[in-house]
Amino acid sequence: MSKTIVSRLKRFGAAVAMLAAGAAGAAQADTIKVGIIGPYSGPFALQGKNFQAGVEAYLAQNGKNVAGHTIEIVYRDLPGANPQQARALAQELIVREKVQYLGGVYFTPDALAITPLLEQANVPLVIFNAATSAIMNSSPLVVRTSFTTAQTTTPLGKAAIERGTKKFITVVSDYGPGIDAENAFKKAIEAAGGQVAESIRMPMTTNEFSPIMQRVRGAGVEGLFAFLPSGPPTLGFVKAFNDAGLRQAGIRFFSTGDLTQESDLPALGEAASGMLTGFHYAVSHDSAVNRAFVEAAGKALGDVNQLSFPAVGAYDGMRVIAKMIEATAGKQEAAKAVAAVKGMAWESPRGPVKIDAETRHITQTIYLREVAKDATGKWINKEIQSFPEQGDPGLAK
Amino acid sequence: MITFFSIAVDAVAYGMALFIICIGLSLMMGLMRVVNLAHGAFAMIGGYLASYATMQLGFGYFAGIALAVLGTVLIALPLEPLLYRRIYGKPELMQVLMTVGIAFAAIGIVNYLMGPTLKTIPLPPILATPVDIGFRSIAGHRLFVIASGIVVVAALWIAIEYTTLGIKLRAAIEKPDMARALGVRTNAYFLGCYVVATALAAFGGAVGAEFLPIEPFYALRYIVTFLVVVSVGGAGSIVGSLLACLLLGAIDVTGRYLVPDFGNFFFYLCVIVVIFAYPNGLMGRAR
Amino acid sequence: MTMRHPPLSDAARGAWPAYKRDAYGILVVFAGGIAGYYLFPDSLALLTRIVSIALLVLSLDLVVGFCGVATLGHAALYGIGAYAAGIVCLRAGITDPFLLVMIGAGAGAVAGIAMGAVLLRTHGLPQLVLSIAFVQLVQEGANKASAYTGGSDGLAGMMPAPIFGVFAFDLWGRSAYLFAIFLLIAVLAILAIVARSPFAMLCRGAKEDPVRVESLGVAIRLVLLRMYAISGAIAGIGGALGMLATQVVGLDGVSFELSANALVMLALGGVGSLYGALGGTVAFMMVEHMVAAINPFHWMTVIGGLMIGVVLVAPRGLAGGLDDLQRRLFGGKSETRQ
Repeated sequence: MSKTIVSRLKRFGAAVAMLAAGAAGAAQADTIKVGIIGPYSGPFALQGKNFQAGVEAYLAQNGKNVAGHTIEIVYRDLPGANPQQARALAQELIVREKVQYLGGVYFTPDALAITPLLEQANVPLVIFNAATSAIMNSSPLVVRTSFTTAQTTTPLGKAAIERGTKKFITVVSDYGPGIDAENAFKKAIEAAGGQVAESIRMPMTTNEFSPIMQRVRGAGVEGLFAFLPSGPPTLGFVKAFNDAGLRQAGIRFFSTGDLTQESDLPALGEAASGMLTGFHYAVSHDSAVNRAFVEAAGKALGDVNQLSFPAVGAYDGMRVIAKMIEATAGKQEAAKAVAAVKGMAWESPRGPVKIDAETRHITQTIYLREVAKDATGKWINKEIQSFPEQGDPGLAK
Repeated sequence: MITFFSIAVDAVAYGMALFIICIGLSLMMGLMRVVNLAHGAFAMIGGYLASYATMQLGFGYFAGIALAVLGTVLIALPLEPLLYRRIYGKPELMQVLMTVGIAFAAIGIVNYLMGPTLKTIPLPPILATPVDIGFRSIAGHRLFVIASGIVVVAALWIAIEYTTLGIKLRAAIEKPDMARALGVRTNAYFLGCYVVATALAAFGGAVGAEFLPIEPFYALRYIVTFLVVVSVGGAGSIVGSLLACLLLGAIDVTGRYLVPDFGNFFFYLCVIVVIFAYPNGLMGRAR
Repeated sequence: MTMRHPPLSDAARGAWPAYKRDAYGILVVFAGGIAGYYLFPDSLALLTRIVSIALLVLSLDLVVGFCGVATLGHAALYGIGAYAAGIVCLRAGITDPFLLVMIGAGAGAVAGIAMGAVLLRTHGLPQLVLSIAFVQLVQEGANKASAYTGGSDGLAGMMPAPIFGVFAFDLWGRSAYLFAIFLLIAVLAILAIVARSPFAMLCRGAKEDPVRVESLGVAIRLVLLRMYAISGAIAGIGGALGMLATQVVGLDGVSFELSANALVMLALGGVGSLYGALGGTVAFMMVEHMVAAINPFHWMTVIGGLMIGVVLVAPRGLAGGLDDLQRRLFGGKSETRQ
């Protein structure tokens, strides 16, 4: 193990040397630039790394050439939700780097800051993550290959009722996606004849969750639904659930897959065992396409245990961009490019998917998964039920 | 009433974890007058080393924590003469610039060496099992954190208030010139204080990992909380820091229980009220 | 734990008359701004953002350098200016850029007075923490008031009118950048006058020796509060400019992180010198941008190393370092104020 540290130190030295040498490589004649904006540093660096892994996995499998054109990726770091910076970076990518396609974007406000530029710039934006339904209405040049919170939550509500849990408390982070999740879950539960007895919104900066768990205990419910953005607090949340004895008390824990992303599972381990989550992708998904994807993306990451859901959004996003390049023969025609991927269907590592022609959002299977150990003793999200061809209920109004 | 006690026990455990981390910062800010925004980085390094020692090298929980404290001190030691000694007594802005720089660099390097994923320090069975304390059961680990906090308070208080070492230390820091004239080796005492502060940070980072999970951005994520605790308690005051941790822990926890939507409002309003009432912190000395 | 600075230099009695030097300084900034327009025509969005943040750092310099207030919450004023201009643009149908900037300045000034009233009660570390509590409360409030601010999604959809009805805030950002340079020059000119005024001297006096100034019959709190209002207005202008150029406002605009970054930029450039504040912002953001573009994964290490290096090599910030260099080369007196 210490050997890897030494080799990493060496690689670190090499990276510094490269920094000193500066950015090399001017644009070649027949290259098509794709700008990928993501959180490559700061608290969400892992998710940005997964963007990059997804992109590289796609290029490694399919080559950099599309219809005689070479794809060149330009990464730009946007560490947190910072719409003004997002706007400036997108403008720079368009005006200076002359990118023909924009991709990435982890946070909703960043996406909403970029979309007003697209029409004037004649550039499509393929969103790899940002998961609020409303983004799609802000520009006709946006396509999304990730998911929305409403999309992953609605089937979960149905599944929870089917499993005999009727009375719930919801606990969500107090920000856009959290409120989306609360509303979607409530709607799904009430539609299936269940009841949400209480809803709690907690500030984003909460570190200590035991008082919340006391509230859950006091609410006298059978099930807890929780949404927190993936990140360190999810660990504390799940542990507090166990520490407060709620699991022994028989309260069932439902959440979206954000809480149990695979890169956090080694840390969560036993504490999360048996948790039921609804999500669009599990690294353990059993298909040949996914096995090839996991291998390629794991190689790009350097450690397959860091692989998580943003990678699959990026991987499929690159497929969409490649199709756009092909359809426009490398010319910069954003409207034509977007039109070409409407209705596009393919087999993704997550299963069969399709770009909905009307909403431009991805239609996909949502899985109910259980945190469990696989044959080798590794913690995984085990798919136990699937809900095929789910659109975004947040947009279907 | 049962609910009240349940919440109180959790509040005390959380408050003690904060206390163990913050007391080192309080000492540096109160005694050495250094605004050390890299304090969180040392706590983070402690957590990483403890995780590495237990997960990769196979040490037990307690040995892993001991190694982590030792390792963090070894890493931090060269930084004192190289970097920190240059900012003693300098304007606060310089101290902020230097120590934020150290925190940035630590985040970058840790992220590179250890990867960006969450790290855990597996608990031994004795701490992982719930303990029945009459009216409810509590995770054994939380009791361990409370006990550790009490030990740290007692040890520091005795060391600083009652030993000659403590007297010389306070002299070296209050009036360095006079102390030097009296034959006190001030540099050595500054170094000593710095080592104690980083060791406590590392210890707190390791035992508090159940509350504040170990990841690269730890170094900056919690620094606001640490600063608030130190100033509410009064920089340099052990009892003050303890009171602040317990008070803020209690307010944070009860606020989140009663009105979770407005938990942060409560917390920061309380901070403003305390500082208006006690501008030097609960137990701080006026200067 | 009060702020300590090198003693006041005799800048006002320097080699040149004061106003002349200010005029040259502003001319240099103007020339630099125009040069930026021609040298980096493709990076104007970034340059505009730098100017917007520079206004925040300049306004921070007023309270740190002149009032000795330690604050890690100054972005509250920047963000309040941005939100005020944005909400008015969206709801009240006022779209004239100049008017929106005035609204941002007004909102910033009011917020500045409120913040000053809270912060000026204490000094040092408690003050630092009060400033953090202030900015956190403002951010929490902005998140809760999502009906007006857009909450965590951010406020978007503003459509400011073209400047003079001709120059639109578009993709290429030319008019936005020139507008930014105009605002920067105007603010610098006003600040040059303010900084030389008896009022500013009084502020400095109040900072250096409050007891003596108070015994002269001056109500210190009111004097410093006035400086806080000016500072708030300038931060508000910065925020309004950011809103106009990008047509979005996010919660990050009222964050502790932005406040801390601004303080780091100020420390990097040198406290108490307006050109130091400007230089620190430009240096920090350019380096961050370039390093992040070359290697987005490791820029934090490089920036951290740079910050440590500045403290070791030029402890008074870049402005102080240049000043020392100049004195060593040419002799003569200290150029930076303070």
